Amino acid sequence: MLTRKQLLTGTGAAALAASLPAGRAEAQAPVTLDVVHAYPSFARFFAPIAEEFTKANPNIRIAFRQIMPNYDELHQSLLRGALTHQLPDVAFSGFNRLPELARTLAARNQILDLGPLIAAEGPTWAAENFSPRMLALGKVDGTQFGMPFNASSPIAYYNPELVARAGGNPDAFPDSWDGVIALGSRIKQAVPSAMGVSYYINSFDSDWLWQALVQQGGGRMLAPDGKTVAFGDAAGLAAVRLARRFVTECGMELIGADQNRQQFATGGIGIIFDSPARLAVITGLVGGRFPLRTSPFPITDKQNGGVPTGGNAAVIMARDDTKRRAAWEYVKFSAGPLAQKIAVEMTGYLPTNLRAAGPEFLGSFYEQNPNARAAALQADRSLPWEDYGANGPRIHRAQQEILTSIMRGDITPEAGLARMVEQTTALMRAA
Amino acid sequence: MSARTPQARTEARWGAIFAAPALLLILTILLAPLVVLVALSVTDYRLGAIALRLVGFDNYAAMLADPVLQRSLRNTFLYVAFVLPAAVFGGLGVALLVHARIHTRTVYEVIYFLPVTSTLVAMATVWQFMLHPTLGPVTPLASTLGFGRIDLLNDPDLALGTLALIGIWQLIGFNMVLFLAGLSAIPRELYEAAALDGARHGADRFLRVTWPMLGPTTMFVTVTSTVTAFKVFDTVVVLTRGGPLGSTETLLYILYLEGFQYFRMGYAAAMTVVLLVFLAGLSILQARVIERRVHYA
Amino acid sequence: MRVGRILGGSAAHAVLAAGAVVMLAPFVWMLLTSIRPPEEVFVAVFDPIPSRFAGIENYGQALTESNLPRAMLNGAIVCGGILAVQLLTAIPAAYALARLRFRGRELLFALVLFGLCIPIQVPALPLYIALADLRLLDTYFALMMPFFLTVFGLFLFRQFFRTYPEEILQAARLDGMGEFEIVWRLATPAALPAIAAFSVFSVVAHWNDLYWPLIVVTSAERATPALGILAFRDAETGGNYGALMAAAALITGPMIAGFLLARRAFVRGITMTGVR
Repeated sequence: MLTRKQLLTGTGAAALAASLPAGRAEAQAPVTLDVVHAYPSFARFFAPIAEEFTKANPNIRIAFRQIMPNYDELHQSLLRGALTHQLPDVAFSGFNRLPELARTLAARNQILDLGPLIAAEGPTWAAENFSPRMLALGKVDGTQFGMPFNASSPIAYYNPELVARAGGNPDAFPDSWDGVIALGSRIKQAVPSAMGVSYYINSFDSDWLWQALVQQGGGRMLAPDGKTVAFGDAAGLAAVRLARRFVTECGMELIGADQNRQQFATGGIGIIFDSPARLAVITGLVGGRFPLRTSPFPITDKQNGGVPTGGNAAVIMARDDTKRRAAWEYVKFSAGPLAQKIAVEMTGYLPTNLRAAGPEFLGSFYEQNPNARAAALQADRSLPWEDYGANGPRIHRAQQEILTSIMRGDITPEAGLARMVEQTTALMRAA
Repeated sequence: MSARTPQARTEARWGAIFAAPALLLILTILLAPLVVLVALSVTDYRLGAIALRLVGFDNYAAMLADPVLQRSLRNTFLYVAFVLPAAVFGGLGVALLVHARIHTRTVYEVIYFLPVTSTLVAMATVWQFMLHPTLGPVTPLASTLGFGRIDLLNDPDLALGTLALIGIWQLIGFNMVLFLAGLSAIPRELYEAAALDGARHGADRFLRVTWPMLGPTTMFVTVTSTVTAFKVFDTVVVLTRGGPLGSTETLLYILYLEGFQYFRMGYAAAMTVVLLVFLAGLSILQARVIERRVHYA
Repeated sequence: MRVGRILGGSAAHAVLAAGAVVMLAPFVWMLLTSIRPPEEVFVAVFDPIPSRFAGIENYGQALTESNLPRAMLNGAIVCGGILAVQLLTAIPAAYALARLRFRGRELLFALVLFGLCIPIQVPALPLYIALADLRLLDTYFALMMPFFLTVFGLFLFRQFFRTYPEEILQAARLDGMGEFEIVWRLATPAALPAIAAFSVFSVVAHWNDLYWPLIVVTSAERATPALGILAFRDAETGGNYGALMAAAALITGPMIAGFLLARRAFVRGITMTGVR
């Protein structure tokens, strides 16, 4: 008989896992799982996946909470929920906030270690379904707290007609940033009313695009100890200089993220960079105006450069035994090939499951939707989306303000970078 | 003489009974929280913390040194300074004009009050579309009016003003209705008497009769408009989230972030106390100023 | 002089009309966009008549692909609950403040005046903490509770009751009516215009409220109208403005319709209390 205390620790999870017949949940009285995720537009795939799951597991219902606008607000609401006894059973936390979330909740015994549950699925289950790099995205301090659900890295979206008008080759997207800026500059000259390139870190809802600009040049946001700011180096300087050059050389104007996408869709911007998760939305916005194309993110440092992996992982916070079993089935299903196929088809995300690329799932999808390939092509360039700890959201707001100032030309890139390092360090310490 | 007649006693008893529920609500919803607020403001309470420490005036000192907070105070005061006169005098102006209409009065009353009834969050999304730099109608309209290419929401110098204009848009009808009520309560005889005294022109009549008689209404309108302007929030959430460059971060928005996103309850409590002091102070000031300038006929 | 009057009249009309255009512009834009299909929302030259009437799809999408119906139902529940308690507590108290002498009357009125300059955002923090401790967050009670108190209502009804003729009250007392009866059978019906006016203010304010629901609501089941439209806007991420404008129209529609219906009573009520 498991004691409550044992349940609350990892040994409890192991015992729980051991008591599960491999791969099948005990059919008991109907269970309703309280689930929360971010980005209301993701309901497009969360809802069908929940339906498929309930079809396969008729006694488990999925009830979604009010969807959070973005990962930061989801994170804040989860932290608030931990304190006000309002945690859901399952949450899909952004990768960059996962370490902070897991550490906070683990200290209060409010999050489940998924390691034993994975092990209980059998010795080859993990290797068959997930690459080690993928699973690593859900690990915090060596413990598997999250099950990767959506994964993506930034890609380029471009308008081949504007590229052609600028004398570029629509089939050969530049693979260096100098090349991108040169192309953007020519687009601006050819079509003065349009922006050549828009890299909207001034209004993007997280620091993902900013981290990408640093990481592609071989830089990192934090030192390996996770405590010291590391982007004050040459890679960081190169990144802020690029940010300013978009404005001075490619005609970029500083407007909102949504406004950028709308303007791109109406033919007013040549190249934008965004999440592959937005592929469906942007394709819909563009409609038939021009033949939308995508391309992998240019990487300057071919050795050490990479791109931050955005997306989210499922974490289980349910306290009670039955709910935990049900939650594990749901999480397992979400990371399974069928659910991944649904998610990828609705968005442009990278499947986290190896088997999802197989012919009976996504095989033909990539043939018919070449734009969705861009994310998959850079899978081996995935780096973690780095997080600054408890003050992450505040740090993002502070950094975004300085970046906007740099891009406006109010402050030099060098001075701006120094200020960013200083403020980030101060805020990390103040947490 | 306080003769406690049976009548007086009954009155007193019923008076107390009738007032009791409201008084109870005032205690629990207004006064008790205020006390807790002041108490919290001298601690370092974070939501869910097990223990809290008394930190004296540290929170207030931190507020003085916090550039984000200083900026939000400046922005809020700018916003109020913009909205208040425009909403009060605009409402008065519209009320005066509408009051004199005969056939079209109802139509105008309804049209001007529509923004007040509408859901600001919903209308802000409409404004967001209208103010889009390339896809909305306002920017090209501004160009043709000679303003050049301006971006009302993305330009740090203009964003706060834009929010203020939307705030005025939403408030002016409310003030108009209150002034209209005040205007219709002014007895006609006063105007006749003033005419006999030599008041000929509209401006004269306004200054001698209308304005003084509107005193209490003006005070009410000013106080409520001030409070409304100070608590600007919906448009910031929907349109700018404090940007660009923090130019639309207002006191209440920062308070919301600090208290309900970062959980620094002690600090947020101190900020609320400051907000309260400003509101109470401004209200008292306005009441005094208006009372002094108004002569009751 | 007559010319002056005519000119003055047309100038007044011109100013009012210009202002009216500005007041109405967003509503017109909202309705026009709500019937446009997605591909025609962003066009270089604005043509008011869309080539395809997409009203059904846009409004349909707004109703089915969002939480709007639920949000509006919650709006009705919350506003109704708040109004009920407000009237039940404020009317007798206002009557007492206006017509009865009792100990603490001055103090109570001073508190009412004090409360007029304190918006909900001030006591919000401690109230939130208290509700969190009591595990009452994300409930209808949490949504309604802070607004049970209405100093505005107390003020407004007191104004009205002050003008109520004393003779009627005396006559009623002589007839043997108790104070309780007087309040509910005599004074309240006479105050109906003021009650109507106040109800409009109250329902509109709470239907449209964002700050408090944003803080206390986490589940989709308790979303209020403001939260509903916010969620829908985020879901659209600029994808289908037609549906978004349709949603905006649906959310704000009931308030406008209600106001138009209650307008006469509303205006009379305001005039009778004549904030003096």
